[in-house]
Amino acid sequence: MKMNESWTDVTFNGRDPVYLQVVRHFKEQLATGRLEAGQIIPSRRELGAMLKINPNTAQKAYKEMEEQKLIVTEGNSPSRITLDDNLLRSIRSELISDAVDAFVVSVRKIDVPVEELLDIVKQKYLESNETERQVQEGGDQA
Amino acid sequence: MIEVVDIHKRYRGRSVLNGASFTVEKGQITCLIGINGAGKSTILKAIMGLTPLKSGTIRIDGQPMDKNLYESIAFIPDHLTMPPGMKLSEGLRFMQDFYQSWNANRAEELMKFFSLDQTERIGNLSRGTAAKFNLVLGLAQDTEYVLMDEPFSGIDMFSRGLIAEVFSSHLIEDRGVLLTTHEIGEVEHLIDRALLMKDGAICRDFQCEQIRSEEGKSIVDVMREVYQA
Amino acid sequence: MNRYLKLVHMEVDRFKYILAGLMSLTLICQFGAVIWWTKSAVSNRESGAWNNGGSMAYSLNPSHNGNLSFTEVISNTQFLFMIPILISIGVLAIYVFLIWYRDWFGRNTFIYRLLTLPIARRHIYFAKLTAILLFIFGLVSFQLALIPVEKLIFNLIVPSDMRDPSYISNSIYANPALGMLIPWHFDSFLVYYVIGIIAVLVIFAAILIERSYGRLGILYAILYLGISAFLLLFPMVGLGLDNLNGYLYPNEIFAIELVMCVAVMAVSVWLGCRLISKKITV
Repeated sequence: MKMNESWTDVTFNGRDPVYLQVVRHFKEQLATGRLEAGQIIPSRRELGAMLKINPNTAQKAYKEMEEQKLIVTEGNSPSRITLDDNLLRSIRSELISDAVDAFVVSVRKIDVPVEELLDIVKQKYLESNETERQVQEGGDQA
Repeated sequence: MIEVVDIHKRYRGRSVLNGASFTVEKGQITCLIGINGAGKSTILKAIMGLTPLKSGTIRIDGQPMDKNLYESIAFIPDHLTMPPGMKLSEGLRFMQDFYQSWNANRAEELMKFFSLDQTERIGNLSRGTAAKFNLVLGLAQDTEYVLMDEPFSGIDMFSRGLIAEVFSSHLIEDRGVLLTTHEIGEVEHLIDRALLMKDGAICRDFQCEQIRSEEGKSIVDVMREVYQA
Repeated sequence: MNRYLKLVHMEVDRFKYILAGLMSLTLICQFGAVIWWTKSAVSNRESGAWNNGGSMAYSLNPSHNGNLSFTEVISNTQFLFMIPILISIGVLAIYVFLIWYRDWFGRNTFIYRLLTLPIARRHIYFAKLTAILLFIFGLVSFQLALIPVEKLIFNLIVPSDMRDPSYISNSIYANPALGMLIPWHFDSFLVYYVIGIIAVLVIFAAILIERSYGRLGILYAILYLGISAFLLLFPMVGLGLDNLNGYLYPNEIFAIELVMCVAVMAVSVWLGCRLISKKITV
């Protein structure tokens, strides 16, 4: 099942609170389409087991996601991803914004004019797409 | 709650434990961290009454250690402690005979989870398999507390993953878990609370997620501060 | 009580192969000896060598009429009979130590498991003691049971016209080793076996002392053994039992000895239980 593939491949760094990393992971899965709006997500316990984290951490992650309205729990039924489009769009923006922030911070140390920078970014991005497409085709042929 | 209050112990002229104090709460995974010989195993043994203390008290839910409390607190030492001539099934039977808190269903479940062969003899097990069986013997009891001494030491990578899974499953939930380890990498994201030992006492005692949120430090960062100061 | 019995069962179970081995060894040696000697004695008589007055000179306790008795068989097979007995005693003596030390040394220190069972720790002590006693009396009973069977074998080999009757009790005492295991007089029985039990108790206490006191433990243990031996031997040896003009009457010396025995036993048991409950360390 597609969902299982995405869940087992998480590695956590030691410095950010684990529960926040879990939340970010959910958001990434949403942005890449592996998780869909309205999809049912595993229970706290199942999540803990799948991600190999402490049940307390899974609990905290849940709470955070509920507070951010990322997931919705109605009564006793299993939780599901929100159907709120605005929220989902804002998550996508948030992730892009975070990635760009990180990039800007690291590239600022090098003194390069913005236009040159954007050209390089475009070039690298297209190269990366091409490589991935070739890998996929190679995989299909094999 | 397990309360360890100001315990002292000398061994071969050296002060192994020098006023260590801490508590272990239910529903949390607490980890004792320290260099080799710091006294981590000694603390676990002292809690279990396997070695006497020079001074200090240890209370479990308010009571001093007593034979009946062995039904509420399971100890998984760093090596398998069953006679080599016994078969695995006989070992399980032994535990069932003596412990009312033994949960035979869970034992079966765990044996399957770890893919252990019940007809094998304990003396013939490889290190990794023995470690898994050791976990079965400790976790199949319905205890409120579980003490684990170096659950990852000498285990291959894949078995470690399996053992780490146990920490995240319902087997640990609601229990108070105290473990010791060198392999901080395996448990960095699994434990709730870290106790750093130095010179026979606890010098840092913190909630891991809190340190990450407030100071942006990992457990390894704090360890560097403490041990390389 | 139930748990104590479970522990006893476990201790016996752990030793069962060695026990079976010792019993088999005894059976094979003794039956073998009886069969071999009796057959050769019978064939000697049948071939007429006896009448020529030659080869039976080596036999101990021969009957004067040329018939064979079971007592004679026992007298002449002493060596082969004694070997398994001595081996059994040796093995049991070693196991008095090993029954404890096997749980500490080796890869799987079972003592961790025993000490964290939800039982009073003195049960562990008494279970090991009971096991040793069961092994001793088990082997002695087995030996006792073998003798009538050996006599039966003798009867099967020797034709009735060549047989002289003998009482089993006489036969047993034709072999000094058997005579010590199964003493005729009750007080000898008491002395041998009670001394044996006291020895086991003192050794158990010494072992637990050694295990409780780290590096100095072995010294304290040897000290304990020495003091106990002294207290037990002193009344008999030091108070002049052999001296007709000694200060105390023999009865008084015996009474003192008895008190010493009881005291050493009681202290050893108390010490053993107390150490394993409070002071023992893995």
